[in-house]
Amino acid sequence: MVKSITIFTTNTCAYCAMVKKWLDKKGLGYEVVNLDEKPERQAEALALSGALTVPVTVVTKHDDSKEVVVGFNLAKLAPAVA
Amino acid sequence: MADDPTRTSAPIHDVVMIGAGPAALSAAIYTTREDIDTVLYERGVVGGLAAVTDWIDNYPGFPQGISGLEYADKLREQAERFGAQIELGEVMRIQANVKGITDEGKYKRLETTDGEVLAKAVLIATGSDYKKIGVPGEQEFYAHGVHYCATCDGAFYRDKRLVVVGGGNSAVQEAMFLTKFATHIDLLVRSDHMRASEILQQELKEKHVDKITVHFNTTTDEIVGADGKVQKVIGANKTTGEKVEFETDGVFIFVGLKPNTEFLAGTDIELDEIGLIKAKDNLETSVPGVFVAGDVRSGATMQIASATGDGATAALYIREYLDGHSRQFGE
Repeated sequence: MVKSITIFTTNTCAYCAMVKKWLDKKGLGYEVVNLDEKPERQAEALALSGALTVPVTVVTKHDDSKEVVVGFNLAKLAPAVA
Repeated sequence: MADDPTRTSAPIHDVVMIGAGPAALSAAIYTTREDIDTVLYERGVVGGLAAVTDWIDNYPGFPQGISGLEYADKLREQAERFGAQIELGEVMRIQANVKGITDEGKYKRLETTDGEVLAKAVLIATGSDYKKIGVPGEQEFYAHGVHYCATCDGAFYRDKRLVVVGGGNSAVQEAMFLTKFATHIDLLVRSDHMRASEILQQELKEKHVDKITVHFNTTTDEIVGADGKVQKVIGANKTTGEKVEFETDGVFIFVGLKPNTEFLAGTDIELDEIGLIKAKDNLETSVPGVFVAGDVRSGATMQIASATGDGATAALYIREYLDGHSRQFGE
């Protein structure tokens, strides 16, 4: 079960918009961390994903375990939020 | 066997469009307005490469230009307004990319990662992706210093140095976008001139000369780094033969486009020598009832405006095909 979802995004990232749209369609809420507005959190996104890219979607489960999905990757995102 | 859809529970649609970029979305606006049941399958971003382009200045009707993301969203909204259904693949472990097409006469059978779908007509509008250059270090540092999407990954290079590879519209446009973040950009152009439009080249010279240095006749031969970080690009000056090096924190590559047609391997759909789909004047492929539009069509000019025109043209011929289909199969 999903406890919370956080998406690291930028203003211009089309794949970020796709992740948000897909989560909206599923009726799932999420927190957005916009790295254009909060560049100080870039290191956090990098540490979580291991990659210099967005979107980074962090799905926190009820047992506080985390799944990190890089990019608009439904093959990973769908099971992560199931 | 082939004409009996009752042997499967696969949904049947008038037209299935593969891709949801400008060509398919434009076609969908036309088909749905004709009450043609239309489903689009998109494995990536709705809007295609247009959606990940920073700014579109050459699309008619937007005198001040429009951001790629906003343009894609408007196009999607317009297609959905008339009833286009866009499948993003909500089924578990699945992306909704169409994996293969089988021509069974009355219906085309499409194997998607969501399951099978039947269609009376198909539009292939899968577009293209940015090419890789295939040099050492490119794969190793992918997403760790090597990138193909400036609007996605540029923000990680605030106050850093960058190399951009390419001399076409995308390379110049995205290099200018990256000046929002980078302190300096070396633009490596393989030939002695740029393929980018004159207006982009002028803008580069007039507004970005302080931040972007253009290196003509310069190859990109290797991307070198350590500890998971890019440190430099090694190339050669083609005129002098001298080795050249560019210290950098990241590399953005825009060296042309590769058609998304791998999924057609083993079908009767004829491709040209670079993998683009051959089409007749009515945009029908070598398989009756399967049409093609946009960047993936052989002879396409790789412009958003021409892709939308292709989409509209294909939709009109699809309507004509479906009329014939009804007469032939009595529906």
